[in-house]
Amino acid sequence: MNPHVIEWLAAYHDGELPSGRRQQVEEHLKDCQTCRAELDALQGLSSLLKADPLPAHTPPERFAAQVQLRLPRASLSHARQKEGRLPRWVLGVPLALIGVWAFMQAALWVTSATLTADQLFGSQAALFNGWLPTGGLFETNASLFLFNIVLLVVITVLWSAWMALWLAWEKNKNQSSLKGSVI
Amino acid sequence: MTSPHGTFEIDDRDLIARAQQGDRQAFTELVTRHQAGVVSLAYRMCGDLRLAEDAAQDAFVRVWQNLNSYKPQYAFRSWLYRIAANAALDALRRERPAAEIDQGSLADPAAGPEGTVEQDQRAAQVRRAIAQLSEPLRMVLILREYQELTYQEIADALDIPVGTVMSRLNSARALLRKELLVLLEET
Repeated sequence: MNPHVIEWLAAYHDGELPSGRRQQVEEHLKDCQTCRAELDALQGLSSLLKADPLPAHTPPERFAAQVQLRLPRASLSHARQKEGRLPRWVLGVPLALIGVWAFMQAALWVTSATLTADQLFGSQAALFNGWLPTGGLFETNASLFLFNIVLLVVITVLWSAWMALWLAWEKNKNQSSLKGSVI
Repeated sequence: MTSPHGTFEIDDRDLIARAQQGDRQAFTELVTRHQAGVVSLAYRMCGDLRLAEDAAQDAFVRVWQNLNSYKPQYAFRSWLYRIAANAALDALRRERPAAEIDQGSLADPAAGPEGTVEQDQRAAQVRRAIAQLSEPLRMVLILREYQELTYQEIADALDIPVGTVMSRLNSARALLRKELLVLLEET
């Protein structure tokens, strides 16, 4: 005798078992009186519950008309949907970050190339005097590299913060759309 | 125009999309389609038809007001029944304790007077037993036994894992079997 399948009987009764498991249960039920009795009890309970019919109620058309009378004049859902939207400027944050990063990369590349050319082929351009280290080619490039790293970290932090905000907002929106508790 | 599983020839999604644009006729069609299910659910939760119909109307008003927050990836029934169950519980808390149930007529027209009285008593006993269940157990039981939602639909409706649906259903059935033992032995 195979082990009992009592733990699967409720799901079997509700039609929720995958086909393989269902066959296993059906095979077992052929030989097992205990499990058959348990299944009969489940079916008996369902029949008893369903024997209590819904009393005669308002016809659907009349009910729908009554609901119509209770509806607010304008659907509030559109206003709520608008409330639920992120402001447009928030959606522009990632694009702005990409733009800033691309601009700074281009500026750093041009600066680095100009300084390298100046260091190798002539005096430093007056443009960069004063605000960039002028110790030597290696020092200058190291400073630019460091600046680039700092820039990358700042952009990554801002991007991550934006992603976290956006994901939290999406999660909240999905939950509130399904949960009746907020409705 | 429904199939045995409550699906319709014209998809609900079309009506929902139109109703989301403010089409009241489409919404009325949705109400007409789902009225029986929502009233039934509210009635099983409240045990009182007048209260249930009021809660069902309230549920549909909430649906209209929040239609744009409905996500099509979830079954409409799950979303609707969640709202309906909450509306029913709100109505119940507002009106009277859950233990009090409707003793109204449940007469089967084919049955004689004695049969009617007996059926009334059995039905009342069943409703009383259901009303005694805790709200979480009652909700899962009703969604499965009366509304015939799948485990996944119940899980979506109540925002709980499928495993929790199964364990609550088992607990509810075990309690009812104990409570209705005499009736079950009679059948």
